[in-house]
Amino acid sequence: MKFLKSALRLLFLRLEQVCEKFFGPSLNPFVHLGSLGWFLFWIVTVTGIYIYVFFDTGVTQAYASLEYLSREQWYLGGVMRSLHRYASDAMVVVVALHMLREFSMDRMRGNRWFPWVTGVPLLWFLYACGITGYWLVWDQLAQYVAITTTEWLDSIGIFAEPIARNFLDSSHLAGRFFTLMAYIHIAVPLIMLLFMWVHIQRHAYARVNPPRMLGFAVLGALVALSFVLPAMSQAPADLDRVPFDVGFDWFYLTVYPLLDIVSGRVLWAALVGGSVFLTLLPWLPPLRKTPAAVVHLDNCNGCGRCFADCPFGAITMVGRTDGTEFDQEARVDADMCMSCGICVGACPTATPFRRAAALVPGIELPADPIAGLRDQVLAATGSLRGSDRVVVFRCAHAGTLDTLADPGVAIVPMPCVAMLPPSFIDLVISRRHADGVLIAGCAEEDCFERLGNRWTDERIASQRDPHLRARVDRDRVAVSWASPVQQHRTRETLAQFRQHLRSSVASPHAGRTGTAWRAQLSQLAAPLRVVGATAVLGAVALLIGWFATRPAYAYLDRDQALLKLSFSHAAQPLQPCRHYSPQELAKLPFNERSATTCKRGRWPVYLEFELDGRTIHRATHRAAGLWDDGPSTVYASFRVPAGQHRLAVRLRDSGRATGFDYASSATVSLTSGQNFVIDFRGTEGGFQFGRAPAHGRSTQEVPP
Amino acid sequence: MTLLEWRDEYRIGIAEVDHEHQGLIGLINDVHAALEADRSSARIEEFLGEIYARISAHFALEEKDMRARRYPEFSQHKADHERLLDDIRDIMDEHSESGVLDDQAFANRLAAWFGGHFKTYDARLHSFLQAQR
Repeated sequence: MKFLKSALRLLFLRLEQVCEKFFGPSLNPFVHLGSLGWFLFWIVTVTGIYIYVFFDTGVTQAYASLEYLSREQWYLGGVMRSLHRYASDAMVVVVALHMLREFSMDRMRGNRWFPWVTGVPLLWFLYACGITGYWLVWDQLAQYVAITTTEWLDSIGIFAEPIARNFLDSSHLAGRFFTLMAYIHIAVPLIMLLFMWVHIQRHAYARVNPPRMLGFAVLGALVALSFVLPAMSQAPADLDRVPFDVGFDWFYLTVYPLLDIVSGRVLWAALVGGSVFLTLLPWLPPLRKTPAAVVHLDNCNGCGRCFADCPFGAITMVGRTDGTEFDQEARVDADMCMSCGICVGACPTATPFRRAAALVPGIELPADPIAGLRDQVLAATGSLRGSDRVVVFRCAHAGTLDTLADPGVAIVPMPCVAMLPPSFIDLVISRRHADGVLIAGCAEEDCFERLGNRWTDERIASQRDPHLRARVDRDRVAVSWASPVQQHRTRETLAQFRQHLRSSVASPHAGRTGTAWRAQLSQLAAPLRVVGATAVLGAVALLIGWFATRPAYAYLDRDQALLKLSFSHAAQPLQPCRHYSPQELAKLPFNERSATTCKRGRWPVYLEFELDGRTIHRATHRAAGLWDDGPSTVYASFRVPAGQHRLAVRLRDSGRATGFDYASSATVSLTSGQNFVIDFRGTEGGFQFGRAPAHGRSTQEVPP
Repeated sequence: MTLLEWRDEYRIGIAEVDHEHQGLIGLINDVHAALEADRSSARIEEFLGEIYARISAHFALEEKDMRARRYPEFSQHKADHERLLDDIRDIMDEHSESGVLDDQAFANRLAAWFGGHFKTYDARLHSFLQAQR
């Protein structure tokens, strides 16, 4: 697991590095996967509402109404439909990447379990949305989806009557079913939205909107894809025929082909087991817990800055408990605290200008006290030499930065750079402990502790309190946001920064966000980057468009037909009903008297099916119901070569030990792709071959 | 000798803010009294650092209260807070450079700021809060 995680992490970091060349650090799609998911959800919602206006529920109307959208109204309705499909497919991609990425970066462990665990049901909802959506089109894919899904659901065994029997042949299908499916297809996304909201509950300032430019770019790519590969229906569904090849959406129907290999129950078990495993993942193995932040009331006046800055909503402002006249105090929920220290960086009393013993801030990490940080800074800077001495405040997730070691460089590690109160920078510069301060944190927009970069940038830019005081020369402050694979960038930033510190010449502003450095570092010209970003998004869009229908899935061989043996039949009661004797009746309470008494329970149905003289199915079907008094249901399908076949079915529904109560045989000629149903109706003369008069001769045999 | 004196007219009407105002004046006077006994540079620096931290925290609280009440003159009021903090930082740097602190000058600057700030900004906030009630 550990190896998998680090391999995956490296893969992501490398991919992101490439992507960053085109998109730049702030628009890199990899750091906006979660908010892209939200964005795609809204695209699907809006386009879905548009489609719903035109959608008719009905066996033939459903297909026709979508054909109208795609053909007559291709310029708007068709685009809406394509967007609906492709944005949904993109959502699968984005969600999968989001999940893998958070996993590989370890951002779901310990106290961060909540978004991860609430994300697991979201996966199920997402798939339910997609699958019910394809159902509604009622083309050949819908037919495949309907039959396979219901057969798969039936395998659980909770439905008394197999729901797949609704799709047995065209005579079984009702238009009302589409109304039901349409409502399910609307209800599931609504529930999903509720869970999406729950999913982000523990994130303060959760990003649910991607940067505008990225949103436009993604929407643009999907619109372009909608024109290049418009989403179309396949041939209309025909339940009397079986499609050979169905254009397959590999994003949503990923697991369906597995049903050819394993049984429905095994697949359910695998999916449920997989989900349970995913749910437990945050605690596998249990995370060593760093002590949560603690509040020192003597130094807390309830100003609320830590509350405003906590990325995980672990701090609440509650009524004062120490009897002083202050209104509020901060309280830390240890079960939500990630011990990142961002609250300490926000605390106004965490200033290093206070001395030694007195330096207890209103809130701090027991494992990393701020007084210790002050000592560390003073100790580390004490031995620095030269006119370009730099203190590097290094985030725990930015790598070790060992390569920066130098007599003029002091490295001070901390859980998150936003743990650094800005007055530390003031102290270092004003007291000349060093000539400059470099803050080295996670990649931009991708802080491990979510908001560390943002708060640091804003504090240095004096946009957020506590801000770095204006008196501090910003030329002596530099920032490097880089992932562990981008450490060369921090190294280059540091080298240029020190060179700038050495020279008295005014140089480009070293900067609040380090943009000047980055501009120098970026190797690609702007137009080239736009082309590159377009190419990346275009390629992903094309991949989505391609796998949304290709490669086709071979459901049935060209020379095959499908035989379905399915019926629902109530077998004989275990004991025949009998009349009460007058004496018995007299004994019964008045309100319980009836003419007959029947013992509940029916015999199982024993069935044999013979194809061309060979028995291919032999099974006992129990009566349904808790009391075994319902009908026995049979649902079995067989792929057979097209052509003439001799079929024989025999059934026993009574207590007899041998022989059969019903038997029937027929010679049928099956065309390739035919869906041939063998039904049984006890009250209408037993077995029925095909819904039209059977091709060939059928004989009801006299039970022996 | 006390550096600063609390006056009832300083009251602005937010209990916790008034409480802390008094506390701050008390702190400044206490620390100042302690300095009479020990005038080492380290003690002075400690004194200044503590005052700087407490006043920073106090302003943070007062600014939160002003924001919560949507005080329209928030930005001017906050700017005056920053002015005092810059002043104190200047004095700290001066002391750190020269190693000496002119108590009386420091007291005068603080008193001037407090007096002025209370009379103008805090008084305006006070009347805003009165009107709101």
